[in-house]
Amino acid sequence: MFVVDLQLSSDIFRDLLDSIVVDVASESHRIARLGLDRNLDLEEEELRLSAEARARASDPSHSGEANGKYIVDIFGQSHPAIANEIFDCMNCGRSIMAGRFAPHLEKCMGKGRKARLKATRSTTAAQNRYTRGSPLSTQTPYSNSTSMNRSSNGSSAIAGDDYSNGNLEEP
Amino acid sequence: SRRHSVNRPPTPDVRDDDDDRPKKPSLLEIVNIKLIESGEKERLMELVRERLVECGWKDEMGALCRAVVKKNGRENVTVDDLVRAITPKGRASIPDSVKAELLQRIQTFLVSVAH
Repeated sequence: MFVVDLQLSSDIFRDLLDSIVVDVASESHRIARLGLDRNLDLEEEELRLSAEARARASDPSHSGEANGKYIVDIFGQSHPAIANEIFDCMNCGRSIMAGRFAPHLEKCMGKGRKARLKATRSTTAAQNRYTRGSPLSTQTPYSNSTSMNRSSNGSSAIAGDDYSNGNLEEP
Repeated sequence: SRRHSVNRPPTPDVRDDDDDRPKKPSLLEIVNIKLIESGEKERLMELVRERLVECGWKDEMGALCRAVVKKNGRENVTVDDLVRAITPKGRASIPDSVKAELLQRIQTFLVSVAH
């Protein structure tokens, strides 16, 4: 049985406090050593920058998707609807516009009517007797490619080819 | 949480420890054991932590720590550096109301274990 000792309760309180101090110090130590305090600053910086970017983007004086004629991307660049960089086709060597390269390749490499005709004409007559249509269409008898279907009708009897894009490039 | 140092031995004050005779457990040690066994120590710790966050004490200590880190360099700073740096200010800047509340709780506990 003892009288409640004020010193004792003070000591106990001090111990509690010391434990908490160690916890706080340990937490700060961890953050410092892991560089997380840098990240906190960075996050704030990024938030600030993104808020500024948003303000700029919604600024009516800039042309964006809603305003103005051209679509602008996040770097502020506007692009034409059809890619207009020009390079050389690695098959036929011609100068081709990038946005028109896929349809060009289709014809250039044999899907189109003119290309197949051209390939057929360039093979010998003997080969023609055994392979109907262009060399490309004989690869697999079971293929579903349109060239295969069409060549079964005879290479010269193709009618009704339609090209969804307008410009035919004459080989 | 692993970080809670409930069982950390009391930070020793400068004491005359030249005696070699085996010491009986001090009153403080006995009470500490009772505090821990009853779970009261954990509850008190939670209470203090909560109060010290509310009144901004923890943030102040955090700022002090950041200052030490800046001074010593992030790679060189140790937990001891930080503890030594914030203990004096930490002890001094406890709000009176928080101290009073905690002392009240502790004294109530002491009375309860005395019976």
